[in-house]
Amino acid sequence: MGLHIVKRENCPLWKRCCFYLIAVLVALGIGSVILLAIGVNPVAYYTRMFTLGTIGNKIAYKTYINYLKDFVPLALTSLGLSLAFKMRFWNIGGEGQFIMGALAASAAAILLGNTLPSAAVLLLICVAAMAAAGLYGLLVAALKVKFGTNETLLTLMLNYVAVYLLNFLMGTKAGWNFYLNANELRPVPQKHPDSSLFPTIPMGGKFELNICVILVFVIGLLIYVYLKRTKQGYEINVVGDSIGTARYAGMKTNRIVLRTVFFSACLIGLAAAFKMGTVGTLSTSITADVGWTGIIVAWLAQLNTWVIFAVSALISMLHYGSTVAAATFKQVDSSFANMLQGFILFLVLAADFMIRFRIVRTRKEDRNG
Amino acid sequence: MSERYAIEMRGITKAFGSVVANSNVELNVKQGEILALLGENGSGKTTLMNMLSGIYKPDSGSILVDGREAVINSPEDAKKLGIGMVHQHFKLVDVFSAADNIWMGKERAGLVLKKDRYAQIREISRKFGFEIDPKKKVYNMSVSEKQTLEIIKVLYYGAKTIILDEPTAVLTVQEIQKLFAVLRKMKEEGHSIIIITHKLNEVMEISDRVAILRKGAYITTVETAQTNEQALTEWMVGRPIDLNIDRPVMETTRPLLEVRDLTIRSDEGSVAIDGVNFYIRGGEILGVAGIAGCGQKELCEAIAGLRPIEKGQMIHKGDNIVGLSPKKILEKGISMSFIPEDRLGMGLAPSLSITDNMILKNYADTKGPFVNRKLGRADAEQVIRELEVVTPSTETPVRRLSGGNVQKVLLGREIKAGPNVIVTAYPVRGLDINSSFTIYNILNQQKQAGVGILFVGEDMDVMMALCDKIMVLCHGKVMGVVHAHKTTKEELGLMMTGALDLSNKYEDKPAGIAKDSRFGEAEQGEEA
Amino acid sequence: MDKLSVITSFLHAIVVYNVPLLYGTVGEIVVEKSGSLNLGVEGIMAVGAIFGYMMGCFANSLGVGIGVAFLAGVLCGLLFAFLTVSLQANQNITGLTLTTFGLGVYFFVGTSLKAVKWPVMGDYSNIMKGFAELPIPGLSKLPVIGSGLFSHNIMVYLGVAIAVVLWWYLNKTAPGLRLRAIGENPGAADSVGINVNRMKYLHICLGCGIMGIGGYYMALNMGGSFNSNCWINGYGWIAVALVIFANWSPALAILGTFVFGFFNTLKVSGSTLAAAFPGGLGWLADIPSQVFDALPFIITAVVLVVSSVQKKKNSGQPAFLGLNYFREER
Repeated sequence: MGLHIVKRENCPLWKRCCFYLIAVLVALGIGSVILLAIGVNPVAYYTRMFTLGTIGNKIAYKTYINYLKDFVPLALTSLGLSLAFKMRFWNIGGEGQFIMGALAASAAAILLGNTLPSAAVLLLICVAAMAAAGLYGLLVAALKVKFGTNETLLTLMLNYVAVYLLNFLMGTKAGWNFYLNANELRPVPQKHPDSSLFPTIPMGGKFELNICVILVFVIGLLIYVYLKRTKQGYEINVVGDSIGTARYAGMKTNRIVLRTVFFSACLIGLAAAFKMGTVGTLSTSITADVGWTGIIVAWLAQLNTWVIFAVSALISMLHYGSTVAAATFKQVDSSFANMLQGFILFLVLAADFMIRFRIVRTRKEDRNG
Repeated sequence: MSERYAIEMRGITKAFGSVVANSNVELNVKQGEILALLGENGSGKTTLMNMLSGIYKPDSGSILVDGREAVINSPEDAKKLGIGMVHQHFKLVDVFSAADNIWMGKERAGLVLKKDRYAQIREISRKFGFEIDPKKKVYNMSVSEKQTLEIIKVLYYGAKTIILDEPTAVLTVQEIQKLFAVLRKMKEEGHSIIIITHKLNEVMEISDRVAILRKGAYITTVETAQTNEQALTEWMVGRPIDLNIDRPVMETTRPLLEVRDLTIRSDEGSVAIDGVNFYIRGGEILGVAGIAGCGQKELCEAIAGLRPIEKGQMIHKGDNIVGLSPKKILEKGISMSFIPEDRLGMGLAPSLSITDNMILKNYADTKGPFVNRKLGRADAEQVIRELEVVTPSTETPVRRLSGGNVQKVLLGREIKAGPNVIVTAYPVRGLDINSSFTIYNILNQQKQAGVGILFVGEDMDVMMALCDKIMVLCHGKVMGVVHAHKTTKEELGLMMTGALDLSNKYEDKPAGIAKDSRFGEAEQGEEA
Repeated sequence: MDKLSVITSFLHAIVVYNVPLLYGTVGEIVVEKSGSLNLGVEGIMAVGAIFGYMMGCFANSLGVGIGVAFLAGVLCGLLFAFLTVSLQANQNITGLTLTTFGLGVYFFVGTSLKAVKWPVMGDYSNIMKGFAELPIPGLSKLPVIGSGLFSHNIMVYLGVAIAVVLWWYLNKTAPGLRLRAIGENPGAADSVGINVNRMKYLHICLGCGIMGIGGYYMALNMGGSFNSNCWINGYGWIAVALVIFANWSPALAILGTFVFGFFNTLKVSGSTLAAAFPGGLGWLADIPSQVFDALPFIITAVVLVVSSVQKKKNSGQPAFLGLNYFREER
């Protein structure tokens, strides 16, 4: 008679892909309904959104450059978060770690930018950002390991501590505050010297590929190799799967957690360094919410390194595309992207259920079967 | 007209993924009787009862309560039908008082919690013949207090049929007798009782009828008065009591592992192992027998370096291993494999492949930062071939293997590492006969190779056939070490319940201390 | 300006501007007591705010506003419950998405509405009247604290009443006992016949509805002026922190709201206090406002760490918080 839910043992890849694809399509469908309701042609809107408005656009190269500026920090932040998530360490402090990284990167750029050669400055920016973010994450991991402090809630709190530190530095005129332009009366962020910007590679036409884009793919490859091939990656997998087994095998689980969370936060710091090294000015909205969105991306990608790139590309497209489209379709606010992202994730979570569980019918009659 | 039963279960089948836990099981309970549900571990007793109490839903089959077909979709339904279950792992809210644990399931409890609920609960408990403190918090209760609370709870909800899952496993002898008195009284009052157990003496003592399950299948139901332990065992294990397990006779060596005066605390802080002495020689299998939860787990963990010890010494080949890291202990050649109830908790990483599980303990031994999976794959292939592991490939996640194959993978890895001491707990739990014999053979081969083996088991017949000596634990204390071929099940049973203490049988030499001990060598710095 | 009236208006501001926090906190306590960690408070408050404000103005009725805000919150709760309870989705992810989604809805609806015609709060007489102060007879006549603490709009009284009622409900009633049992040990609750899923749905929806009302109150406090800053402005996150600070007790949440509100208000009126009491409180003017912004989070972080160091048994944190319950788990 009745229906009930049982766990599914294994779901083939093609079936999973189908479920996710259907989820995304249904989400776009719901979006269409809303667009129709306010009198916008969804096909026209989506076309504009997903092409980032580059069709018939003379300065399309600028669009691509700006799009990649969004994509790189998001992908790198998600990669970093995925490392911690693999160990079931709920680091939702990406936002705070990103800010700490950005502050350190900016300090390095402003203080050293004009004194050292560009390569050295860029290296220092990255190292400073990674150290700052890494330590901010390590603090939580240490408390978790030592006292069992709830890392979800603690990283959440520390996000806001970082946010207000950033706001303070961006809003307080003082002699010591090198983050602000000393020549302005109002608090205006200091522009970084040109030597602290990442170089670009001309790709023909006016499009120039920022070296960060290449670096982020190289890092992705390294992380993939790290997780799949190295001893440390193996340890992360074992600890994430069964911490009892890891201890039993003689692994120093506390050290592995500390190391991995540090590493995870370092990557988020590096994302901040890349962001600072491409935009060149600090601001209170420097994170563009990548700490939050990164969590969603990592989860949507099921912590799979390459899928993270694909999902980051899609989500960046939603956000950037909606800003572009908002210029043409005045009725549609760019917050439409946030709604759409919500629909997609809700539906993917629902699809996930279909993958993890099966609904079966309780048989009653065939006793002798 | 056929006899009317309080509960009838017909053709019940239940599978978890590919594992069939119950297959076409029949069970019936008369009003006012005690039915023992007998079967080995993993025979599907608890699963079957969980379907009666609404935790699981059967894949097929039907349940009749008082002759009427019943649909039990949830514990709520079971409660309404007058079925109550005392689970082996108590279902209590730790931070609540005894009274609130009962009150939370009370129907028509009204809106406001009144202070008089404590008095009400105390009174009702007295009526049932129990004395409890209604205000006592569960986290301050002893195991038997918690069990009492669980029983009061189901009685309070008006259960006519009461299921008890292995209620004696955690109790002392006196507490067991008290429990049985309670059960008899409940029976007289007209309750039907189902008691899950795998202990024959208890079946004979308390039950009116016995239903037997073997490997998820229903075997038979018999009147207790018309049967005996011999017959029950045959139904339960499906083979004559003579197990025909080989016990090769070996030249034993000097003690490999010696434990003196060892005291260990459990997670809850109570003393789990209390001043225990024993030693293992090379070429012998020392069995550890005892009621579940008598410190076996803690002992295994302490030897493997996973649990700090309170006091005492552990000497391996003359070297002190107390305080060493799990890694260092592994390097000394001490292998521990502990298979808890869920089978995958310690020793294997369930989502990882067989290959990845093979390299669990030696992945760090190769040079460089990379994992060498080639060696792991070769090891996996060898174990699969030699131990006949049934698996699609070496890259299959361990969680998708059946229980016997999981055990083979685990033991296969341990043996490949070439240990000199093997500590293994419940290695045949839930396995079929053939798989079990494969495991016994592996252990015997290791014994013949001069390895010292500590075998924590639960089946007395197996232990008497396989082990050379058996150490019996009761509440963390050693009740004695006996020669397996000289002892009897009765003697072991008495020792397990604490009724017989043979630890000082030989006045000149307390049990568990070797004549040719290597104690003291550590201080003199001889031998590594 | 008279020094005592400075204190009075300081007290008044603490209450008026921070009781929305109490709604968010108490709502989240109800949700968390059922074992669900909902990180979507910010988004849910935003959704409650925009729909409550819009419909309240259209109907020219504070009651309609409150009702619609509550319903909007309930709908968000229903979504959260469906995903995490029925579909076993991860609570952290679902909650965070709900925040993004809720803020998206807020701005989308707000901007769309503004494109047509933005309702200005002052035009709606019934709302202005309903939101006016109602002094409590007797108490409000007390010197200094009287008009500071006991002369407020109806939303303040409603918020405090909800907190008190919920404290009573959680601790002194049978359904409250069952709810706590679910948050502590859903398996145990299930085994005694409590319908775990129904209870979780009900209380997640109830809690989210209360958050929605809190959002509407924020909208009223802002006078309904819609710009690029969301009305909720991080209060949802402070509420999540306050739940921990209040040790999961609605009664302590009232006190916690006052403490957090104290810092919030110092940020705004610190300079006024400094001017009124140059001797004692002059230093207040020198403290950057961001310090007061960060204090609730710093204090909560410290509380989190300290309570984890102590490992106390009587912590109000539900033992099963953040985990999903699946009956047939083996």
